[in-house]
Amino acid sequence: MNIFIQEFKISVVSALYWTAAMTLFILFFMLMYPPIAAQAQVMENLLNNFPLEIRRALGITTMNLSELLGFYGFIFIYVLLIGSVYAMKAGLSGLSEEIRSGSVDFLLAKPVSRLAVATAKTSSLLTNILIQNLLFLTAAFFIVGAYQDSSFDKSVFLQVNLSLIQSQLFFAALGAFTAVIAHKIKSPLPIALAIVFIFYILQMLNDALGDGKLLYISPFAYFSTPRIIEQGIIEWHFVLLNLLISTILISLSFCLYQRKDLPA
Amino acid sequence: MAVIEVNHLSKYYGRTRGIVDVSFQVEEGEIYGFIGPNGAGKSTTIRALLGLIYPSGGNARIFGQDCIEKGPIIRRDIGYLPSEVFYYDNMKVIDLLKYSASFYPSSDYQRIYELSEMLDLDLKRKIEDLSYGNRKKVGIVQGLLHSPRLIILDEPTGGLDPLMQQKFFQLIKSENQHGASVLFSSHILTEVQKLCSRVAIIKEGIIIGIEDMRTLGRTSYKRFVIELAEVVDENYFDLPGTANLKYEDGSFTFLFQGEINQIVDRIHKHQIKNLIVEEPSLEEVFLHYYEPEGEQ
Repeated sequence: MNIFIQEFKISVVSALYWTAAMTLFILFFMLMYPPIAAQAQVMENLLNNFPLEIRRALGITTMNLSELLGFYGFIFIYVLLIGSVYAMKAGLSGLSEEIRSGSVDFLLAKPVSRLAVATAKTSSLLTNILIQNLLFLTAAFFIVGAYQDSSFDKSVFLQVNLSLIQSQLFFAALGAFTAVIAHKIKSPLPIALAIVFIFYILQMLNDALGDGKLLYISPFAYFSTPRIIEQGIIEWHFVLLNLLISTILISLSFCLYQRKDLPA
Repeated sequence: MAVIEVNHLSKYYGRTRGIVDVSFQVEEGEIYGFIGPNGAGKSTTIRALLGLIYPSGGNARIFGQDCIEKGPIIRRDIGYLPSEVFYYDNMKVIDLLKYSASFYPSSDYQRIYELSEMLDLDLKRKIEDLSYGNRKKVGIVQGLLHSPRLIILDEPTGGLDPLMQQKFFQLIKSENQHGASVLFSSHILTEVQKLCSRVAIIKEGIIIGIEDMRTLGRTSYKRFVIELAEVVDENYFDLPGTANLKYEDGSFTFLFQGEINQIVDRIHKHQIKNLIVEEPSLEEVFLHYYEPEGEQ
């Protein structure tokens, strides 16, 4: 428990900063909703001049920007990206922190098993993500709810937002796995940015091609915001698939962490 | 009973050698020296004992239990001071020490204050603001605050001033008198000489000798410094039993083991300007061990 508390203490502030960034992002762009909605026709005409592939890649084929939820969904994609970068960065940091800072000989020479260390660190990470999602969801609900004249479907709103935690789970697990197989990670953030954007580009490619073959490669495709808004429901097979992949990645990183030679 | 038993322990990093077939035993209540030049494998051996790296061959037992399988249990009774002391930079010294104490059932929080006062360590400062020497002090306190049965010190005195080193040695001696066994790794012989009863010498990953400190102290080597008035061949004193022969500015320096009369025979034929015969320092005796093969 002491490791969990310590890990949580040193990481929660960063989690809150990222949450604030996500919230401010939503707040700022939602302020633009009334003028854009008023001129949605002009905007859509403009966007319709883009080739279909580009519109698909940007996720604006099926979105109705004049509707509150349609607009929210459009900007939410970027929150998903910010949140995923955070999760990947935090996942990468956790199990590589001691190796990076040289404190391996402190923590791992204590009377604790590697499994206990990995469990405490992962629990702290998941707690941070959970707190982040609760805070963001609450803030987003009030921001979107501020436009009282236009009602919105709260169930769809919730499902759009739930894709955040699921995508974060995937990237946190991938981050933990990468941290364990890498010898030493000097700075997690650039790696996190690169990997998340690769997955995002895969998703854009997948949308642009529209043939569904790449659908299973990127978690961004599992929780495609336009699809959720259009269909009004999360596709359960993607939720389960994501859960399965994340569990496998985390289990693998636990196993490998236990057998890893920890450099001084 | 042996506190530490290292049996044919090897560690390779890919093809790179870490340590090869290392074996030694540390008895209960003993201060055991572990000496060798930088990169000889001292830290590798110690880190394998602590379960931080996995051996490629052989095994090690502490308190009679396997280091890897029973690692977490064994480590309750070990205090470890690593050679490189890095911690979580943002923490205050006191918070780090309390965190460290929280891992041991036998921790005495009062001891944090006692030890810090003895070592002149400011508990309120942030770790990142500390000098190397002060970080070492944090290392010493976190290694001793739970009164461990076995203390493992890896190059402990780096960064400590002489006065602090002395205090530290006293501290280790007093822990030893209270029953703690100590494994003391160093590349500085004089400090090992001060504390240890036995010493294992490691070079290029291989244990090349295990010696009792008293026998080493009473080695039959004598150190000669001879300055002759006449010019003689620089190999003049190269006899069987001579070691580390040096000739500089008309002065010979060497270690000699054997019949002293052989040397007397050689010098009485000449005019002597200067003659010193003395006990060699351990440093010089060990020099053999340190020198690469073929140069001895």
